[in-house]
Amino acid sequence: MALDIQKVFNNERDVWDISLAGDVDIVSSVELKDNVNVLLDRDEKSIQINCEHLSYIDSTGLGVLISLLKRVKKNGNEIEITNAQPNISKLLKITGLDKIFIMK
Amino acid sequence: MNDKISLSIPTKSEYVSVARLTSSVIANNMGFDIEEIEDIKVAVGEACNNAVLHTHDVDHTFDLSFFAENEKLIIEVKDSGKGFALDSYREPDLENPKEHGLGIFIMKSLMDDLKIDSEVGKGTFIRMTKYLNR
Repeated sequence: MALDIQKVFNNERDVWDISLAGDVDIVSSVELKDNVNVLLDRDEKSIQINCEHLSYIDSTGLGVLISLLKRVKKNGNEIEITNAQPNISKLLKITGLDKIFIMK
Repeated sequence: MNDKISLSIPTKSEYVSVARLTSSVIANNMGFDIEEIEDIKVAVGEACNNAVLHTHDVDHTFDLSFFAENEKLIIEVKDSGKGFALDSYREPDLENPKEHGLGIFIMKSLMDDLKIDSEVGKGTFIRMTKYLNR
């Protein structure tokens, strides 16, 4: 399945609100990286990623999340991951990435 | 049951999803549960990512084989890409997370057995096994 990326700035929480639907894989991970970097170029803020409709992520997608986390951390910001499905949570857990992202 | 399914896949990223979907259909037919099917799908995706990422010549193909046996599914992925030095592989370090190198760790965590042979300049062979009812 292709990847759909919805993005909006959440004024109330002062974060970039990103919703992912579909697959973040070897094909689409670059698209995710480019899209989020464009947002951060515009305004360096924390990011909230809603994963409710994200059905698949692989190591290339996790690699993109790590590179984005490194960037936001430089500016004292965070990445929050919300509503991850069990298969996504499992991958974040076994790789230990659940400890470096804020999981909600 | 002792069936072999073999695919020869172009080393282009857009075909990795074909391998993933094929793996989930085979695992489903064999009676693996939903979580195990997902594990197999992710592990196959990682093995195929590896074949695609380490082969820069897009005219190449890599081989994906499934051996469906009574109690287990064995999956082999063989490429003739640039290979890598297994000695240099390090498990993920959370203090210093890296963008690369998670694939092997994920395959190892999700499958019951993983064997990798790789030689720089010669390619990589990955063999992984998932047992039924374990």
